[in-house]
Amino acid sequence: MKPYSSISLLVLAFFFAGTVQAQTVEEVISKHIEAIGGKDAWKKVNTLKMEASLSVQGMDIPINIYQINNKAFRQDFTAMNMTGYTIVSNDSGWNFNPLQGQSKPEPMPADQLSAQKDQLDIQGELVDYKEKGHKVEMLGKEDVDGTEAIKVKLTRKSGSEVVYLFDPKSFYIIRSTSKMKINGQDIEQIANLSNYTKLPEGIVIPMTMETSGAPAPIVIKKVEVNPTFDPALFIVK
Amino acid sequence: MRTLVVVLCLLSSIPVFSQTTVNSSTFGSMEARQLGPGTMSGRISAIEGVNDENAKIIYVGTAGGGIWKSTNAGASFKPIFDKYCQSIGAIAINQKNPKVIYAGTGESNMRNSVSIGDGFYVSNDAGDNWTKTGGLDSTEHIAKIAIDPVNPDVIFVAAPGPLWSDSRHRGLFKSVDAGKTFEKVLYINDKAGCADVSIDPKNSNIIYATTWEFRRLPYLFNSGGQGSGIWKSIDAGKTWKELKNGLPAKPFGRVALALAPSAPENLLAIVESANTGLYISSDGGETWKQQSASLNVISRPFYFSTLVIDPSDPKRVYRPAYSFSFSTDGGYSFAEASSDGGWVHSDHHALWINPKNNSHMWLGTDGGIYLSLDKGNTWMFNGGLPVGQFYHVAVDNQKPYNVYGGLQDNGSWFSPSSAPGGVKNADWKSIYGGDGFWVVPDPTDPNMAYAESQGGDVNRVDTRTFKSVGIRPQPTAAEDKLRWNWNTPIVTGTNNKKNLYTGAQYLYRSADQGKTWARISPDLTTNDKRKQEQEKSGGLSADNTSAENHCTIFTVAESPLDEKLVWVGTDDGNLQYTIDGGKTWVNVAKNYALSGIPAQTWISSIEPSIFDKNVVYATFDNHMYGDHKTYSGKSTDMGKTWTMFKSDEFTGYAHKIKEDIKSKDLLFLGTEMGLFSSVDGGKSWFRMKNNIPWYALVRDIQIHPETNDLILATHGRGIIIVDDISAMRNLSADILDKDVYVFDTKPMVLTMGNFGGNSFPVISAPNAPSLPSIQYYLKDRLASGDVKVEVYDSAGKFVQNIPATKRKGINRIYWNMRMKPPKTASGSSKVDYGATIAPQVMPGNYTLKIKVANKEYEQPIKVVHDSSSSFTIKDRELQHKTAMELYNMHEQLAKNVADIMDKQKLLKDNLDKVKDAKVKKQMQEYYDKLEALRAELIPTKTTSIFADETRLREDITQVYGSVCNTEAVPNNLQLERVTSLHQKVNEADQKNATISKQYEERIRAALVKEGLVKPNVKM
Repeated sequence: MKPYSSISLLVLAFFFAGTVQAQTVEEVISKHIEAIGGKDAWKKVNTLKMEASLSVQGMDIPINIYQINNKAFRQDFTAMNMTGYTIVSNDSGWNFNPLQGQSKPEPMPADQLSAQKDQLDIQGELVDYKEKGHKVEMLGKEDVDGTEAIKVKLTRKSGSEVVYLFDPKSFYIIRSTSKMKINGQDIEQIANLSNYTKLPEGIVIPMTMETSGAPAPIVIKKVEVNPTFDPALFIVK
Repeated sequence: MRTLVVVLCLLSSIPVFSQTTVNSSTFGSMEARQLGPGTMSGRISAIEGVNDENAKIIYVGTAGGGIWKSTNAGASFKPIFDKYCQSIGAIAINQKNPKVIYAGTGESNMRNSVSIGDGFYVSNDAGDNWTKTGGLDSTEHIAKIAIDPVNPDVIFVAAPGPLWSDSRHRGLFKSVDAGKTFEKVLYINDKAGCADVSIDPKNSNIIYATTWEFRRLPYLFNSGGQGSGIWKSIDAGKTWKELKNGLPAKPFGRVALALAPSAPENLLAIVESANTGLYISSDGGETWKQQSASLNVISRPFYFSTLVIDPSDPKRVYRPAYSFSFSTDGGYSFAEASSDGGWVHSDHHALWINPKNNSHMWLGTDGGIYLSLDKGNTWMFNGGLPVGQFYHVAVDNQKPYNVYGGLQDNGSWFSPSSAPGGVKNADWKSIYGGDGFWVVPDPTDPNMAYAESQGGDVNRVDTRTFKSVGIRPQPTAAEDKLRWNWNTPIVTGTNNKKNLYTGAQYLYRSADQGKTWARISPDLTTNDKRKQEQEKSGGLSADNTSAENHCTIFTVAESPLDEKLVWVGTDDGNLQYTIDGGKTWVNVAKNYALSGIPAQTWISSIEPSIFDKNVVYATFDNHMYGDHKTYSGKSTDMGKTWTMFKSDEFTGYAHKIKEDIKSKDLLFLGTEMGLFSSVDGGKSWFRMKNNIPWYALVRDIQIHPETNDLILATHGRGIIIVDDISAMRNLSADILDKDVYVFDTKPMVLTMGNFGGNSFPVISAPNAPSLPSIQYYLKDRLASGDVKVEVYDSAGKFVQNIPATKRKGINRIYWNMRMKPPKTASGSSKVDYGATIAPQVMPGNYTLKIKVANKEYEQPIKVVHDSSSSFTIKDRELQHKTAMELYNMHEQLAKNVADIMDKQKLLKDNLDKVKDAKVKKQMQEYYDKLEALRAELIPTKTTSIFADETRLREDITQVYGSVCNTEAVPNNLQLERVTSLHQKVNEADQKNATISKQYEERIRAALVKEGLVKPNVKM
């Protein structure tokens, strides 16, 4: 009897050790990329159009996003019958917010532009992150509203940093935190990502995003992969 | 084969454990409001800045509020240590790589109320993430961290070590791997630790350290012994020599040591001894000479251990102590800072001087931080650090209710729990001085409260004038000297609200606000004479400030069910009750000891149950005998037998247990290291983390009877409120196992919030939500899909959608009880806020549809009118009718303007295409007439917010806004205006029709003829 029970304890110990064994950061990222549709599917994404909306106290604010990989980004929003936009390219960035009384577009502050340029990569910044010159670091685990998430810091080639928190079951990113310089101050930006949905093109994207500062979640209603855009869309008038 | 079976059995048993349990994430959405305030702030133990020209980055370590960081030279601070031990002893920055920060927990200002630390922490990203390293977890107190200026991986940590017990975990520790591991390099004995360390910046092999022998007992303090001394090493800590030449005879007490960074052979030391004095050395400590010193320089050495020499001027010496002294002649003479910048709080413990600009300095006191830009001559208080150290909290029944509490070294205060624009520093009112403890509103008199200063100085205070009347009971001729605890209880009756209690060794009761007192007990303490020699307290320097008073009553509680049943706990272990209003007393100390609680603990709180007279809860604090375990338990038989609460989650000695006022299974436990909750009557516990620092020092807990708010007194993070904890009640296993559960919503009273006004830009704490919440429970994080919440009226018509959250556990969302805003006229170059304003809904029955992924849950909600308001239901009906008329006008106008603009677009599109010149001219005329009409209806020329342009749309919005956004019946002129505006909106429709009638048919016929438009086009 005795030998058996000690063996069983050993096996048991091994079993539990296996489940809690630390995963390397590479494993986490590769499982994540697999979960969001795989590298090949993402590499085929050259342009994206998204129709989203935000609902504030019954007022619906439509948001349209147009992206060309590594080249350009435009976001329009409409509220109170007025449309404002943000346009970013590799060399310039503009904001137009008529709700703040602006009557013409204004150049983006340098800190915002540099943060926005980090977002021009739409093929998933963790896809081929090494080739892109980014670095990753495992920061352990952190509780995200009851999920013991895997915490990974990405330091981009540009020097900016973002911390991604991965669901240990699905390997989706459920939260990202980053520091944005706004008016010279580091402001922590938290985004909770959810409702991951697989598109016909094979990529999986979070359709809902709750961000710190926004009064309501931004919900994506429609995504078009690789549409053709009128170049005028990205030119500031 | 056998092994496999065992493993499988274990595996199959796992689901038992994975059944839904309640934990901190279940209530994560119930985010606490940290009320602060920064008004009086709290004790500061460490300040360090990143050495650059602007010194924008400052780290502040506090006695019980963690670490705060400013990145803007002090304009604002944020807490960066909320997941760890809140008592900070020392901070150090690797100035060669200022992202590397070290923190030693457990401050070394060894007063009676000092907290303890749990080790040494490292951050490699400027405070975003921290890791505990180095194995210093049991040192409990860390006084200083010094980094080798040449090789910053070399670190020295001075650890005085435990205050309340002998311990090997003290001395000077050295790390050569940036804090990963430490070696003890200077150790005297288990009574004497290391209190200070300095590295010679010009030769980092030379280290100076001071050792200190000290001990507290609950009733006595000793600073001094043969273990105290000043030490020097010239081989980076390998060997040590005690410095003696010219110093006074031993024993020493605590020694404050400083070297001049610009001329490090110059040293200064304040040596506590039989003849405490200031000593100067100019030869690296080999010989010393005593200097005359001012009272402030040599005052209270155990508590004031800060001595700093200017980074560039060796003659400029700073002695922040009881007050702020400075010397310009190397310590031969001292002057005092001026009070021209306002009073500087006494009792100083930290000073940081910007090495790049030595006029610029930060001072840490028992009441927050101060900035000087003139070398410490004058100081400016910074109100941005809400780290007050409350002992107790009480609330009243006003709307909004007030919060009352007393603070370590910062007196007695009260403040509204919510205020217009948020609760600001200026909303807090100081009603009594000294150290504050119990501040209790009189439940029978809204203008009266009771407050005290240390050692039983009990007062009745008028909360309108703050005039006070001393009501401390006095001994009769036949009685011994009264022994008052440092933190003397002042308690009002929970059954008979007229009763007021306080206690020395005897319990006193008054039924007339302290005008007359009755002693209602014998000496309830052990009256152990060995514990009553406070006049001998202090050690080498006498220190008898009532902080060591002992054999006193510490806690009093009247049963909420019977005023004759009163419980009393003492600081020396007695737990007594009376069932006859004080005629007879029963001591149950022996009974609780049987359940494993050491004798002579402090009975830190007693909670007689609101549901059953025989049930009582208590907390027992034994930390003053070096035992930090969490002792808390329950008796169901009047204290005869006790069941102790156990949990792996518990940390810190226990201060307070609180039973919920509605659910007997809901309990809260506040300890020196966290707030814990149980929803199953104490069987299992979890740490509360919902915007509460995980290891907050929770000294007192209240639950508001009207709002169901949980109110915490923290000793380092001020007052913290969790609004409306009712969702924590009755969370049965049945509900927990449901995927989705929508809680019943009480009838929702129509309101536009509690406050108006303009929020002026000052620091303020958030208010309680002014709208009732809608609450639902999700068993798990939603793997896919969304949560959508919509409101429908009783006719099934859609009213509004509400932004929803989808956290695991309880979710809280708010409906503003309004409709969707109207569609207003677009096409203008001016923003019109009419499109954001929606009328409030009318009272009635509504249905909430909560869609979780693919499933829908319905919940009725009743919306009611506030019948107590002067705004009557008839007023509301007229307001709603008027608002809807204006709403409809907006939509009518929007339709008209859209029609005009559609026509204009068609005309414009075809103007260049049309060939017939006469038609072209008519089209232009038509277009221009439409444009003239459009320009009457909406602004068309606005190019700047500073050039106002008001048209019909704006006229409607102006009335619409004031009708919709006020809780008042529309006035006569508003009603008249509605009629006239309605006429104008109708006229605009007619004008559009008239213009069209003049041109439409002719032009359409012409364009159809040219093949430009179809015959049925509207234009």
